[in-house]
Amino acid sequence: MSDSMLPLMWYFIICGELALYILLDGANLGIGLLSLLPQQESERSRMLDILGPIWNANETWLLVAAGTLFGAFPAVYAIGLNALYVPGMIIVVGIIGRAVAFEFHAYAVRKEIWSRIFGVASLLVVVGQGCALGGLLGGISIADGHFAGTLWDWATPLTLLMAVGIFCSYAVLGYTYLIREERYANKSGSFNRILTYAGLTGVALLLATLLLPRTNYLFFTRWSTPPSMYALYAIAVAIALIALWFGYDAVRAQHPERLYYQCLLLFAFGTAGMLVGTYPYLVPPSVTIFAAASPANTLRFMLWGIGPLLPIILAYNWYLHRIFRRQMPQETLTGYGE
Amino acid sequence: MNPLDLSRIQFGDTAAFHILWPLMSIGLALYMFVMEAMWLYSGHESYYRQARFWTKIFILTFAIGVASGFPLAFQFGTNWAAFSAATGSFFGNIMGFETTVAFTLETASLGILVFGWKRVSRTVHLLSNFGVLLGASLSAFWIMVANSWMQLPEGIHMQNGLIIVDNYRAAIFNPDSLVSFGHMWVACIESTLFLMAGICAWALIQNTRGTEPYTDEKRARSAFFINAFKYCLVIAIAITPIQALLGDMSGRVVAEYQPEKLAAMELTWNTNAPGTGAPFAVVAWPQAGGGSNAAALEIPNALSILTTHSDTGTVLGLNSFPADDQPTVVESVFIFYAFRLMVLIGVVLIGLTLCGVWYWYSGRLSIEKISKHMGFWKLWVYAIPLGFIATEAGWMVREIGRQPWIMYHVMRTADGLSSNLESPVTALVIGVITAVYCALLWLFIYFTRRIVQSGPDLTSPLP
Repeated sequence: MSDSMLPLMWYFIICGELALYILLDGANLGIGLLSLLPQQESERSRMLDILGPIWNANETWLLVAAGTLFGAFPAVYAIGLNALYVPGMIIVVGIIGRAVAFEFHAYAVRKEIWSRIFGVASLLVVVGQGCALGGLLGGISIADGHFAGTLWDWATPLTLLMAVGIFCSYAVLGYTYLIREERYANKSGSFNRILTYAGLTGVALLLATLLLPRTNYLFFTRWSTPPSMYALYAIAVAIALIALWFGYDAVRAQHPERLYYQCLLLFAFGTAGMLVGTYPYLVPPSVTIFAAASPANTLRFMLWGIGPLLPIILAYNWYLHRIFRRQMPQETLTGYGE
Repeated sequence: MNPLDLSRIQFGDTAAFHILWPLMSIGLALYMFVMEAMWLYSGHESYYRQARFWTKIFILTFAIGVASGFPLAFQFGTNWAAFSAATGSFFGNIMGFETTVAFTLETASLGILVFGWKRVSRTVHLLSNFGVLLGASLSAFWIMVANSWMQLPEGIHMQNGLIIVDNYRAAIFNPDSLVSFGHMWVACIESTLFLMAGICAWALIQNTRGTEPYTDEKRARSAFFINAFKYCLVIAIAITPIQALLGDMSGRVVAEYQPEKLAAMELTWNTNAPGTGAPFAVVAWPQAGGGSNAAALEIPNALSILTTHSDTGTVLGLNSFPADDQPTVVESVFIFYAFRLMVLIGVVLIGLTLCGVWYWYSGRLSIEKISKHMGFWKLWVYAIPLGFIATEAGWMVREIGRQPWIMYHVMRTADGLSSNLESPVTALVIGVITAVYCALLWLFIYFTRRIVQSGPDLTSPLP
């Protein structure tokens, strides 16, 4: 493989890891958000039971993506986290809360405290991710290879819209994941709620897309000069049409299993659209994939060390999900030995 | 306080707390694996009960370990961006190995280990237990590789302020990495063994209070904890002397490759003249501002013997290094005593193990005789924190002794800091995270106490 291909190769691997994280943990975070809605405590406990065996492996994809980003594009890891110090720390506190909530919930006598902490911590993670994505797309000021802004640059109207959009989209994902579960009883009216959250997601992300060119010069150029603008408009319209079609299908067919996979597809399309819009920048508009990449020998060494393992990791994650897929409602898990 | 000092405090704070949990995860995973393997091999139910009971505590240590580890990984970017940007091509690469190679294996295996008893075959379950142990140990290995490379950055050169790796073998297997990994991995096992033995002792004391003659249930429970205590003792006999040996090897690596650190942790100011030996100070206190000791209690030639295995071996003193390139006097005094504390605890734990073996040999470790030897059992309860204190002390010697370098002789700690940090923000983060950590430690003790009080489940059907 030629040296110039290596950064691209790692770019796509990391995008794949991040996409897996969003698709897998997005549903878990969404369920966390839904646990905050008023409902019976037994429903909340059931949510935690459903996620118990799998959330940890799902969340690991974030660490995997972060670890490989650190090795392959250290400048992005450093500048990005330096600039996004505050959202980063919000995510960290949220992750701590969520990680311990599961096990303490299982052991505790007063379980409602821990199911609440699970919900609030999920909210922190989601808000932190929205702020981080908004801050990243809004542009990070860099001088001389170092972060040159203040710790509060990410706080813009764009970031607010991104946070709302991510919140609603995770809620959609969480709902569609839950209603496939036979153990989840609270299903009445859930299709309407899914459509509401999906609509809110659409509105927030549309407004964010309109605001983006005003916040970050790169997107202004891209959305206003041919030929790139035609491609971007075509992608945006295509995703919108597919979303509408899926929405119509959801109302008509009311088929939970299909809806879940339709949502996953939409997430994948949206992520791909964002990548097309930002390529070849990792930190738009200043740092490209090629400028931020580690030297070729590092990328090659990492590829040999990690590359062959990725299919194996995927395989045993698939095996894990298969073992714990849709347990029967009467079956209790014996994990914590109670 | 400035962002540099605050960032150092934040890192020290999070690292010191985080290290407690992987320590226990590795130790408990090893014990659980041995027990489950013995169960499959021998078919004795009691091994299965052991594995199940200690898994309950393992789940807690693992969850808190994962939770407290996230800030560490993120901190390299948030607080040490200049270091991360410069060293990412090796350091970040190794952290990437840690997450992809080790951590994914551990988390995926854990799901099956905890929830899979009735869903997978016994062999697959044993494999998942091994996956947890292997994942946790590999994790420790890659972290030690990354850290030992900060101690001895070999196999690289700097070009335009960035690290270029010339030789991966030299960088990964630098003279420190394998010795330090061994020392740390054994520390995990040793600290956990004394925690477990202490828990057993506590449970036996609780179980004995005011209950003679025994009910069958209490007798079964006491037998469970006495068995666990004996298993721990067997492993401890093998482990504690090995740890002393690894400590000696570790010390000699420091003596050879980081002479300033050795001089600081021994408060040795002047190099010994040829033909004479360097003394080992048992206690010492430096003059204000350094340069020499105001008071010291010394054993002649002992430091030469320890570090070079020759009674006249040369040990460089702090005065032979530029003042800017060595730990400050306060840091030196701190690690001098931290080092002695670690060694002292190592010796105490060997003594405690021998004492346990003697009691076992003389037939005093039986259910009927527990109430006669309360002092012995209490000793083990008091020993619970010792292994952890020793590990923390050892890490402080290692990290503070490396100062003022973040990468030894390549990059100074002050040059590794992020840009434009704000002291109030960092101080707030330290406050929040420390409060959360204290709550987690308290909750761990609370839940572990309850798990031990309610005792092992000895009656549920086998999977």
